[in-house]
Amino acid sequence: MMNSMNNLKEQLKAHYKIAAFEEPTKMQLAFNVEPDKTLDVLAYLKSIGYGQLSLLTCIDWIEIEEFQLVYILFNWDNGIHLLVRTSIDRNNPKFRTIEHIYPGVKYYERDVHEFFGVEFEGNEDSYKHLFLELWEADCPLKKDFDPLEFSTNRYGNRKYETNFPRKVGGE
Amino acid sequence: MAIGDKVELSSWEKLGNFFRGRSVWMMWYCTGCGAIEMPPTMTSRFDMERLGMGPMATPRQADILLVTGYLSVKTLRRVIYSYEQMQDPKYIIAFGACAVNGGIYFDSYSTINKLDDYLPVDMYIAGCMPRPEAIMNAFNDLQEKIRNNEVDGWKRYKKNYDQYKKNQLKAVGEVYVHDEFHE
Amino acid sequence: MTFQNFLNAFLFVLAAFAFQTSITGINRKVMARLQKRRGPRWYQQFLDIFKALSKSSISHGWVYDFGVIMALGGIMATVIFIPVADFRAFPNTDNIFIISYVLAVGMLGMAMSASGSGNPWASIGVGRALTNMLAYEVPFMVVVVTMIFGFKTASVGEIAGIQQGLGIFGWNLFRMPLGAIVGFISLQGMLGKKPFDSFIAPAEIASGPMVEYGGKHLGMLFILHDLSTFIEVSLIVNLFLGGGATFLEFGIKYFVVYTLANLVSGISPRFKIDQAVVFYYKFPLLASIVQGFIVIFTGWGVTKWL
Repeated sequence: MMNSMNNLKEQLKAHYKIAAFEEPTKMQLAFNVEPDKTLDVLAYLKSIGYGQLSLLTCIDWIEIEEFQLVYILFNWDNGIHLLVRTSIDRNNPKFRTIEHIYPGVKYYERDVHEFFGVEFEGNEDSYKHLFLELWEADCPLKKDFDPLEFSTNRYGNRKYETNFPRKVGGE
Repeated sequence: MAIGDKVELSSWEKLGNFFRGRSVWMMWYCTGCGAIEMPPTMTSRFDMERLGMGPMATPRQADILLVTGYLSVKTLRRVIYSYEQMQDPKYIIAFGACAVNGGIYFDSYSTINKLDDYLPVDMYIAGCMPRPEAIMNAFNDLQEKIRNNEVDGWKRYKKNYDQYKKNQLKAVGEVYVHDEFHE
Repeated sequence: MTFQNFLNAFLFVLAAFAFQTSITGINRKVMARLQKRRGPRWYQQFLDIFKALSKSSISHGWVYDFGVIMALGGIMATVIFIPVADFRAFPNTDNIFIISYVLAVGMLGMAMSASGSGNPWASIGVGRALTNMLAYEVPFMVVVVTMIFGFKTASVGEIAGIQQGLGIFGWNLFRMPLGAIVGFISLQGMLGKKPFDSFIAPAEIASGPMVEYGGKHLGMLFILHDLSTFIEVSLIVNLFLGGGATFLEFGIKYFVVYTLANLVSGISPRFKIDQAVVFYYKFPLLASIVQGFIVIFTGWGVTKWL
C-alpha cells in the first residue's frame, strides 16, 4: 500500500510538479494544486482509478481573502483518500465545473454555490437552491455572515427569566 | 380567548371531549433527534397504547402533531402543511428544548426559535432529550386538559389566523412549497 | 317480510357491531400480551371509533363521500344475510351467492371512495387490495363450490346445520381437512392480517386506501372494517366449524377463530403483493382442487362419513 502511495507522489511530481504532500492520517494524501491545473489533475486522477468523488467542499479563509475548494477522491482498489485543494479569489469567486469528469459533482457545486456564493461556470443548475428554499439573504456559511444577528432579527428570541432567586433550605 | 378561559359547551361537545380525552392518535414529525425516543415509548418497555395513544400514518387521521426537535425553515413549511391538513379538533405538542426556544440551535441561520409564533402549541415537553416518561406524562396531562376543555389551540389558530400567517411569512418567505423534484 | 323482520335486521347489525368491536378490543389486549405489553382497555376500540366520529371531516368530492356511504351500506346489508345459530333476519336468504355478491358492493364502494380521494397512495393501496382479493378468492371459491356440490345446497345456514349432530367430527374441518386449511389461509387474506397486509402497510404507503380519511369518514371506515370482519369470520365458522346450536357456542367459536388469526398475524412477517398472489396460486389452489376431486369422485367426507 505504501508503494502505491509513493508511486502516486512520484507521478504527480513528474507530471504536474507537485512537491508538497501532507498525510493527515494513514491512507490519506493532501496536496495543493494551481487553480488552472486542477481540472487536468482531477481528470488524470480519475483515469488512474480514483473514480469516486466523495465530497466537494469549500473553506472560507477570510484573512487572506481566499476560498479554498477541496475535492475528496477515493480509490476503491487501494483504499486511498486524496484531498485535492485549490484556492480561488474570495472577491471574485469563480471556478470551472468538473461535471464532465465527475457527473455527481453537480449537487456539491450547487451546495457550495448556495452556502459560499462560488460560481461554477459550465454547471447550468448551479444557481438553483438545493437546501435553502427561497433564500434571499447573504450566503450563510461565509465568515462575515453573523448567524446570531440574523436569527434574532428573523426568528426572534424567547424572553424568559434567567435570574431565579435561591430557594434552598426552607428560605 | 386566552388559554384557560372556560366556555360553556353544548352537551354534544362535552360528549366529544369525553371520547377525545381518552383516545389520542398522534402523528410525529420526526425533524430532529427526538424521533429516537418514540420507539421505546411505543414498544413494550413503556407501552403508550395502554393510555389510549396510538401512532397514525397520515395527518388526516391524527389528532396530535408531535414536533420532535428543531425545525428548520424548510421543514416548518411542511409542518404547516401537515397541521393544516389535520381535522379539527387538533393539538400540537412541542417536544424538546429546540421546539421551545431553539435549544442549541438558538443562533442558527435556518432554525426557528419559537414554534408558538407560527403554530398554536398546546403543550411543551422541556428537556434535551425528554425521556419516554416525560412524553407519556405530557400525553396524560393533555388528555386531562382535553377532558376539562382547557386546550383550544385549534380555535386560537382560526381566530388569530392573520397574525399566525404574518409570522409564518416573516420566517419562511412563502409557505407554498416549491420543490424541483415535485414540480 | 314483516316489520318484525326489519327490526330484527337492524338490531342484528347493531349487535354484530358491538360484538365484533368488543372482540377487536380484547384482541388488541391479546396482541399486547404477545408483545409483553399491558395493552389498552378492552373498550378502547369503541372510544377510538366514537372519537373519530366526533371530529370534523372534509370532502374530496362526491365520489369520495358517496363511496364511503355505499361501502358501509353494502356491508351492513351483507351482515343481515349472515346466519348465526338459528337466527335469520330474513328467512331463506342466507345463500352463499347472495352474500358474496352483496359483499362485493361494499368492497367496490370502498375502492371507489379511496380512488376518489385523489391520493396516489390510496390508488396503490386499492390496487394491492383488489389484487389480494383476486388471490384469495380463487382457492376459497373452489372450496365453497365443492361444498355446495357435496351437500347439494348453497345455503350457509343449511351447510352449518348438516355439520351439527355428530359432535366435533361432523364439522367440515374434519370432513374436508384440506379445504378447511385453505379456508383458514384465505381468512388471513380476507381480514387483511399479516402476512397478507401489504395493502395497508402504514409505513410504506401511509396506510394505503385509508390515507386521505379523517374524522367522520375514518370513523365510518372503522365500523365498516369491524362489520366486514364479522361477515368473514362468521362465514368461516359456519362453513367449517358447524356454526353453532346456540349464540354462546357460535360466539366462542368465533372468538377462537378470530384470535387465532390475530396470533398468526402477530408472529408473521409480510408478503409483498406479488409474493402473496404466487403463494395463493400454489399450495392453497392445489389443495382446494385436490379436495374438490376427493369430494366429487370418492364422496369421502360427504356421502362416506362415519
